[in-house]
Amino acid sequence: MTSMWKLLAPALLLVGLITVVIASDHPPAPAEFTYSENTSIITLDPQRISYTHDMRVSYCLFEGLLRWDNSTFVPRPAVASAWTVSDDGTTYTFHLRPDARWSNGDPVVAGDFVFAWRRAMLPDTACDYTALFFVIAGAEEFFDWRLEQLDQYSRRPSAERTEQAAADLWARTLERFDETVGLTAVDDHTLVVRLERPTAYFLDLVCFAIAQPVHPPTVERWASIDADTGRLLQRSDWTKPPRFVGNGPMVVTDWRFKRTFRMQRSETYRDQSAVGVESIAIVEIENPNTAVLAFQTGAVDWVTNADRVGYLADMLEQQRLGEHNDVHAFPTFGTYFWGFNCTDTLTGGRPNPFADARVRQAFALATNKRDITEKVRRLGEPPAGSLIPPGSIPGYTPPGGLPFDPARARALLEEAGWSDANGDGVPENSSGEPFPVVEMLCSTGSYHEDIALTLGAMWEAALGVRTRVVSKETKAYKDDQRRRDYMVSRGGWFGDYGDPLTFLNLSRTGDGNNDRGYSNPVFDAMLDRAELEPDPAQRFEILEHAERMIVEDECPILPLFQYVQFYLYDPDVLSGVSEHPRLVQYPYAMRINRAGAR
Amino acid sequence: MIRFLASRLAQTPLIVLAVYTVTFLLAWQLPGSAVINDEGRQPPPAVLDAMEARYNLDNSWVFYWQYLADATGVTAAADAIAGRERLGPVFDLGPSLRNEDWTVNEILADSLPVSIVLGLVAIAIALVIGVGAGVIGAIKPNSLADTLSLGVALVGISLPSFVVGTALLIIFPVWLGIGRVGGWGRFGDIILPAITLSLPFAAYIARLTRMGMIEALGSDYIRTARAKGLPERDVVLKHALKNAFLPVLSYLGPATAFAMTGSFVVEIVFKVPGVGQHFVAAVLNKDLFLIMGVVLVYSTMLVLFNLAVDACYAWVDPRIETG
Repeated sequence: MTSMWKLLAPALLLVGLITVVIASDHPPAPAEFTYSENTSIITLDPQRISYTHDMRVSYCLFEGLLRWDNSTFVPRPAVASAWTVSDDGTTYTFHLRPDARWSNGDPVVAGDFVFAWRRAMLPDTACDYTALFFVIAGAEEFFDWRLEQLDQYSRRPSAERTEQAAADLWARTLERFDETVGLTAVDDHTLVVRLERPTAYFLDLVCFAIAQPVHPPTVERWASIDADTGRLLQRSDWTKPPRFVGNGPMVVTDWRFKRTFRMQRSETYRDQSAVGVESIAIVEIENPNTAVLAFQTGAVDWVTNADRVGYLADMLEQQRLGEHNDVHAFPTFGTYFWGFNCTDTLTGGRPNPFADARVRQAFALATNKRDITEKVRRLGEPPAGSLIPPGSIPGYTPPGGLPFDPARARALLEEAGWSDANGDGVPENSSGEPFPVVEMLCSTGSYHEDIALTLGAMWEAALGVRTRVVSKETKAYKDDQRRRDYMVSRGGWFGDYGDPLTFLNLSRTGDGNNDRGYSNPVFDAMLDRAELEPDPAQRFEILEHAERMIVEDECPILPLFQYVQFYLYDPDVLSGVSEHPRLVQYPYAMRINRAGAR
Repeated sequence: MIRFLASRLAQTPLIVLAVYTVTFLLAWQLPGSAVINDEGRQPPPAVLDAMEARYNLDNSWVFYWQYLADATGVTAAADAIAGRERLGPVFDLGPSLRNEDWTVNEILADSLPVSIVLGLVAIAIALVIGVGAGVIGAIKPNSLADTLSLGVALVGISLPSFVVGTALLIIFPVWLGIGRVGGWGRFGDIILPAITLSLPFAAYIARLTRMGMIEALGSDYIRTARAKGLPERDVVLKHALKNAFLPVLSYLGPATAFAMTGSFVVEIVFKVPGVGQHFVAAVLNKDLFLIMGVVLVYSTMLVLFNLAVDACYAWVDPRIETG
């Protein structure tokens, strides 16, 4: 009998263990409003935010000085009740409300904004949007200075890298910031911001998620100065409940990695009438078909990302026939494009035919954008002539772009020195070398390969060139793009703020997002001139010329269509979804009416 | 026995270090940058350099040793000796580069128990099915029951788990309304994924048991047991099975470890919040800290599991020399 027990003992232990683990795992009650995202929430730290779905959450948990009205994109008072601008347009004074509160009851003061914006300007925090803060006077110099100081510090002999030395450097950094950066909390309720130069879109930046404040004592509790490197180390422990402190309409009450995310109405928020729901749950559903099922069975009220549903085109067709009314397509503040490598040589020192603007223009003219949206995508995206979606920025009219004109395309290619002399159908240059096989780089796992094949076929038919699709996993694709190891490559861009520069800076020499290596001093000078131009109409005219250069004359970028965002929701149940192209959503302000369900 | 355990325990760090080194060399070679959001904004070069410097990503040598020191608690010990204040855990596996608000410790603390429970339940199910089918097959070789159980075993080993998983999901929650799709947290949620995960193991165990039983039932001591008039049930379950179980036991060590680590597909199909999916995502995102952390923890577990099985082996069959 004992031997039997020997065998049974582990099994019994196991059953006991399993029971304990499962019994301790309680699912929460459903929230009033549940929506799904196709990826997990990355960060709640406003200064480090980079993804749209994180921003949606961020606008619920925090509140900046100003907040857009998300149907018109006019900045409205939020933590600041009023603001003034100096005559020269470089100094903004914000007056903060005395009744703004953090979720732990502390008042929101001007110093909290100084603290948060300073974090964003520190190389120690280094975030994707750090450069947007460089519109503030002295910010970029401060960033470079700190970087230099850290570099010098790391070169000191290790005996001189003590806790005291690191703390001294940090103290000097704070002093330097106060002396040189144009950001001052005059008192608890007055914040003065001095800009490098007049910046037409500054108030738009103030509304942006990254400019929201953080609660200094909460963040500092998880920060330390590293004696070895002199850097400020900031742990993210504070973003997890119950440690989380925010100043927005909601607070996060439950967050388990890839499992649950819950927000609850904040009792300390100043404007309770703006809050439409008591609680919000966000579920992560990676698989688009599962998301549709979850929506249809009522587990989810809003699917924020339905564009990867394989049968979306059929759903749209059914909707056209009046079978349902829950797929919503909104044109966005973003453009899908393919870009040409504009550098002189390709990897291995081969000459790059696309360094010649005429060749790029010829390829652009040989592209039938309507075929791509109507026959490949079939989702009703508007073909794009320009990089900036028409109508998305009030007062700005983008250029019309290039038409589909294969004859002109061939003529241009010949003008650039590529003509089919030997009659084999493939154009050659003057020394008889055929046009190199056009390598079209894209990432796997989405619709890009379909578009690449279609584009390739169009170019082969119109220009006689040969093409080859090179599709790689995202990291490898991005790496190739950054090293300019490609000829033509897929790209896309969503604007960050309501100004043409958010799109045009993409082609500025040396910009971090200029994957095409395009560099034109004339274009750069136009952008610089626009930045200094005080008259808005004049300014937009300069920018329109600059954009014409990009999409019609020089063609580093070939815009294909305006991105469309697809949502699933029942409009009788869910209200308050913004349809403005910038598609900034405030989930806390949405309303749920279960009685409306059909 | 103690000497055996001690020497095996002493080898563990060396094995783990070798795994860590090989993984590090491979992971460091992954293309692309670990700190940028590929579909988002690319910060200016100075910012990008600052980001990489923050995590020692600009120097593979420093990263390798620093991470090893942090993960094994050496850094924490040094801090304690120097009297420095410390915010992180003792065994600090670092931040997740992609999931910025989470540390690898937090991610593993949340998902590792799930994978362990799922793996153990699957092995328990596999044992019940496998041993049962093996014994039935061995008592009456080439009977209908034997053919049937072997057939099921063959199917269990050949069908990939995404097929079995999807079929189970369609049959139980969708057609019969038993259980639910894509849920985790209720008692019943573990059953379907565990069954799916258990089938290949059950099939293998069934074959091991059947072979062992057929051999045992033909041996002299079984004939003696029958001759002295023991009931057939006792002969089979107490005498034959005990010997026939040994090969199964030696298979259980690697099988349990594999069930706990290899449940990636099952996790995706059933939306189980285990470690497998993070590991795959970590490689795709070049999330170095998460890759290294998961590998360190898993390799340690695997080595310790095999050690435990060897110890069990000696316990069940005292004839086996362990010195």
